[in-house]
Formats: sequence, structure tokens, C-alpha cells
Amino acid sequence: MGFSELAVLTIHDVKNNLAQLVAAAESRGDMASMLVAQHASEALTRLLCYYRSEAHFLDIVVEPASPAELIDDLIQALANHLREHQNIKLEIDLSQAPAISFFDKTLIQMVLANALQNTMRYAKSTVQLTVIEQDAHLEICLRDDGAGYPEGVLTDTDNSPVTEQGTGLGLRLARRVLALHVNQGRCGEIILSNEGGAVFRLILP
Amino acid sequence: MAIPFPPRASPAFSLTEKKVLIIDDMPDMRSTIRSQIQNLGIKNIFLAANVREALGLIKQRSFDVILCDYNLGNSTNGQQFLEHLRSSNIISRATLFIMITAETSFNSVMTAAECMPDDYLLKPFTGETLKLRFERLLERKARLAVIDQLQDKGAWPEIIRACDAIIASKDKFVIDAMRIKGNALLMLNEVEKAIHFYEEASKLRNMPWAKLGLAKAYKSNKQTELAQHLLEDIIKENPRLLAAYDFLGRIHTEAGNSDKALEVLEDACKIAPQSLARHRSIANLAEEIGDFSRVDKALCVVIKQTKNSPLRDTKDFVRLLNALSETGELERADNIFKEAKESFKEANEVRLFAATEAVIHKKNGKNDLAKKALEIAMRHDDEQISAETNLAIAKACLVHGKEFEANQILKTLVQNDPDSNKIKASVGAVLKNYGGAAASDQLIADSIKEVINLNNEAVQKAKAGELTEASNMLSEAALRLPNNLQITSNAALCILMDILSNGFSIDKSLQAKRFQDAVAKQDSQYPRLAELVALQEKIQLKYKNT
Repeated sequence: MGFSELAVLTIHDVKNNLAQLVAAAESRGDMASMLVAQHASEALTRLLCYYRSEAHFLDIVVEPASPAELIDDLIQALANHLREHQNIKLEIDLSQAPAISFFDKTLIQMVLANALQNTMRYAKSTVQLTVIEQDAHLEICLRDDGAGYPEGVLTDTDNSPVTEQGTGLGLRLARRVLALHVNQGRCGEIILSNEGGAVFRLILP
Repeated sequence: MAIPFPPRASPAFSLTEKKVLIIDDMPDMRSTIRSQIQNLGIKNIFLAANVREALGLIKQRSFDVILCDYNLGNSTNGQQFLEHLRSSNIISRATLFIMITAETSFNSVMTAAECMPDDYLLKPFTGETLKLRFERLLERKARLAVIDQLQDKGAWPEIIRACDAIIASKDKFVIDAMRIKGNALLMLNEVEKAIHFYEEASKLRNMPWAKLGLAKAYKSNKQTELAQHLLEDIIKENPRLLAAYDFLGRIHTEAGNSDKALEVLEDACKIAPQSLARHRSIANLAEEIGDFSRVDKALCVVIKQTKNSPLRDTKDFVRLLNALSETGELERADNIFKEAKESFKEANEVRLFAATEAVIHKKNGKNDLAKKALEIAMRHDDEQISAETNLAIAKACLVHGKEFEANQILKTLVQNDPDSNKIKASVGAVLKNYGGAAASDQLIADSIKEVINLNNEAVQKAKAGELTEASNMLSEAALRLPNNLQITSNAALCILMDILSNGFSIDKSLQAKRFQDAVAKQDSQYPRLAELVALQEKIQLKYKNT
């Protein structure tokens, strides 16, 4: 057995252990421990996903799905993280969201979870999450009122630096996941900009 | 404890009454998930450590939700198990199947819609997430429950009406409704409407299921070449859509192009090496064209993958044994025999093995053993035996010089399913290898002529108003040829017409229902079924007050 196969099996084992920790912590109301275990597990999920995208190819299943349910799932999964940032107001606007869109539910939720946690960390007081349909594509937008992205992140789109917080890995993975969402010759993309605060746009064709 | 965030409307059904089955090979994970589900107030929770335990529980009671880990240890995985459950009708449409995975992207192949899980859950998940998913999936089931019931009844026109209502509402179930509607049009054999429907759906967005539906509609419309090209395009665009390979393989097989079908299925196996169904299809086809080393290769994969699994199938062993006897690897055959006899003991399968043994021993010059085995194989009992078993027995008869007995068996096989090129090819292959090509063509032609004449004669009688006589003729034939869908459905049709014009009889009505069920069980898409349902409604209306 090669190192990579062993690594995958080990990660699966560790994820099982973390799942038990998460469940145990949840049942006794220990939110702090739960959060640590969830963070660790999410990092491993991204690592596995990154490995798949490097080694073989990352398979996606584009299926009809409700954007409102996606956001519901996202908020539910991050409920614990969000509670850590109770001083930040999260405003969600789904009024312009279509009933159905087409994407890989699990992967897009993973991308958004990473982006939302990042945004919460750097926002001063408010984060806005909006979902709109525009020119036959779906746009999920995260906007904060923080200091914005550093110049290096905005310009270097292909080789985002992997920082201590792991944001670079998350962003690189996000770009790969979106590039795999293709419809009528158009790929999905991530667009970062500074407009007052940091703006993260996820575009699904 | 947890803050609902954002608040959701509470669902219209009770979660606590649901029956849930958890399948995971890790004891700690089982108990963790159980306590998460207990915390949702659900009391009816069952645990299984493996596929065997799960099957035992599923056969005793029906579950509302099955939570199954994708990785189940060494043998069968969650996807293989789900395919087995759905394709053998062990669980109904009403049961939710949720796959638990450790990765965002594991082995995401797209097979037939009914073999896909209702949802995926990524580890780790919180109790709150579990609750949200349960409620959402149950809401979906509730919304589609009426349609599910109609599908079980095969009431396709009503299904289309129900789907149209959902499509008009443009809510989040619109794509589900479209998929079901397309399928209903195909079932009703409304080919032109189906083609139009799938073309319009594809204009909305490039959706693989719609293109696949279009290919099916083309094939029903006898535009086989068009269907074939479309399927090749679909595979190029969606190399992981196994359902497209399966359908393309079927088209090649039905047209008698076994080589092409094999090529397509081998490609599918590269995409999904763990899917048993395709390795088995390869073995079937390779056997028909006499490529026995290919049979050997494909079945060794299946037998290895089903070790200690209830998904292990006798037929795999019989085919492998045949192949080994063809390639002359008798020592390996002996070992496989031993393994098979330890695993299987049922009557139908015993006859299969006996027939196989009769051939192999004969080849080996062990005439006494061969004769004894043949006796067991030809023993008449009341059990219905499969086409595969019949072919094996006929082959053994030929090897032992019992041509008359072999021909009787093969004739019945052809008459049972005269439209199937597959059966003809199998019968032809057996005769060609053991009796001579000329004999094979003659037997197939005669058998078909005989059954066509019988059907025509009965139809003539029915048209002349001799309904009772016609239905007697067809009933007798249908009992002898239970797999001949034309004869069996015509028998049902004739009996129902007889009832409609000559008066109600409970015996006749039950017989018609039995024939109808037999057809539906073998091919739920058989075009004549809709006609039978309509006729029954007419009868109910007419005799409502008697």
C-alpha cells in the first residue's frame, strides 16, 4: 500500500473519531469542544478533496438543487461557528433566489462554508449573504465590512498563497470546484473584489 | 440547546414515529449515530454491522429511513448494497436511503435513478443537521407520495396529470416531476410526445437524464441508430453516467452485436470497477459468443467481491464452472465446485449445479458421476426454474446424447420469449456448440412459428366473438410459457374482454389479474399493461352494483 492510500484510510479513521467527538460534545452541550473537532474535520475534508483533485480527478455530480436549502444547510452546519461571532450580524437575502439551480451540493457547501468562516473572521460588524439569479447564472455573494482582501490575494488568482490559516488552500480548491461546473461552454468561477469590505462572489453557470 | 438559525416552519408529519436502520461496520459509529437519532425523539432504531444483518432486518419489517455508511469494510460497499436492494425490489419507493460518506467526492458514479441514494451525508454531521435533512427528505416524500402510489399501480395517465400540476407550480420539485413525467410517457409508449417532451427539457438546460430519456424514446420509436449516436454523445459528455453505458450495451445486445456491447460494458467497468451488475453482463455476453477466458476473468472479480456477502449468486459459480470446463482448467473447476457446494443448497440452484457437474464429469470421462448428476438435474419438481437453469440442463442433455429432451427444453425457452434475440442467441449458442448450427436455426424458426400460429388463431377467434374459447387457448399457452409476455398479456386481455361481454366471474377475474401481474413483474414497461388497467376500470364500472 502506497503512502497516499494509507493517508486516505487514516484520514477516514480520524474523521470517524472526530465524528464521535462532535456527537458527544453536542449531546453534552460542550460547544467549544464541538467547534474544535468540527474545524479539524473540515480541514481533513478539504485535504482529501484537494488530494482527489490533484491525484485523480475530482468528480462532481451536478444535480438540480434548491439554493435556499443550500444556504439552510450551510447555516445549520456552521451554527456553532457563527455563535462564536455573535457580535457580527449575518444578513441573508434569498428573495431573488430561484427555486432550483444546478450544482454539486456537497462541494459547493464546502466552498461556501470555508468562505463564510473566513468572512466572519474579518468582518467588523456585518456580513451580507445574497443569492440572485442573473443572466441565466446563479450568483452567491458574501460581502463584509472589514478591511478587504490583501493585494496579493486579489491579483494572484492561480497560485493563492497557502497561509497559516489555510485560506489559500480553501481558495485554490474553491476555484477548482467551480471550474468543474460547466454549462453550455461556460465555467463557474470565484470573483474576489474589495468594495468597501471584501466581496466573495461564487458564480454558477 | 442549539439555536434554530434561521427559524424554519415545523413539518406536517411526526418524525418520532419513523423506523430507522443504521448500517455501519464501526461499532462506535453505530452507537454515535444511534444516540444522535435518539436525541431527535426517534425510538424505533435498528443497528446492523454488515449487509447480511441489514438484509435480515429489512426482510422482517419495513423502514422509513436507512442510513448506510459507504465503506462497509472489506466486501460489499453501500452503493452495491443499494443497487441490490432496489433492483431486487427489497425496499419500496417509500423507504429513504441516505448514504454516509467521509469524502465530498468518493466514487460518484451515476447509475439508474432508482439506484441512487435519496441523499448523501458528509461526516461528521450534527444531530441538528440530521434533523434538517430528515425533515426535508420526508417533506419531499410526502409531496411525491401520491405519485409514488400511482407509479406502483402503473397508473401512467394520472401520474402525468399529477406531474403537470407540480411542473406548473414551478417549485423546487419541478425537476423531479419532469423526470417522472418523461418516464410515464415512455411507459405509455407515447413515443412522439416523449421525444417532444425530452427535447423541450433539454432546451431548458443540458441535463443528462433528459438526453437519456430522449435516447430511450428514439429506441421505442425504432430509431435505433439515432438512439445509439445520442448515447455515444452522452457518454462522451458524462463519462460517469453508467446508465448510458447500460442502455447502449442493451441496444447492441438486442441487435445481436455482442462484440460492441462487450466493448461498451468493459468501458463502464473501468469507470465503476465495483459494480457487480456490469461484470455479470460481460460474463453473460462473453459466454454467448464463446469467449470463455473473458467469462473467467469477469466472474472471478464478482466471486471475489461477493465473498461472505449475501449478494453472492449461484449463477456466477455455474457460469464460471462452465467457462473452466470449456478452457479445460478442471483442477480450478474442482475447487470452485467445493466453494459453491458449501455456499448454496436451494433446489433450483442444486439442479443448476447438477447440470454443470453432468457436463464437466462427462468431459473428464467420469461417466458414472456424470450420469448421476444428470438425473438430479432432470428431476421434475414443482419449482419454477430460470432460463439459465434450463439452458444448463439442455446443454447437459446434449452432452449426454439426449437430443429429444434438450430440444423440448430449448423449444419452450424460445416460445417463452420469442421476441428476445438474447434468448435466441443463448439457445443458438448451446445448439451450435453441442448440436450443430443447422439444427439450431431450424428449431428456433419452428418454435417461433408454432407460437405465432397459436397467437394468431386465438386472435382470430376473439375477433369472431369466440372469446371464451380464445381465452382458454391463450390461458393454456400462458401457463406453459409464463415468460412470453405477448401470450400472457393477450391471455389477460382476452379474459377481461370475455368478462366484459359475457358476464363477471371471480375465477376469470383472478386468472386475468395473475397473468397481468406476471407481465408487470417481468416488464413494468410492457406497453399492453396500460390497456389492461383501462379494461379493468371499465369492468369495475360495469359490474359495480352486482
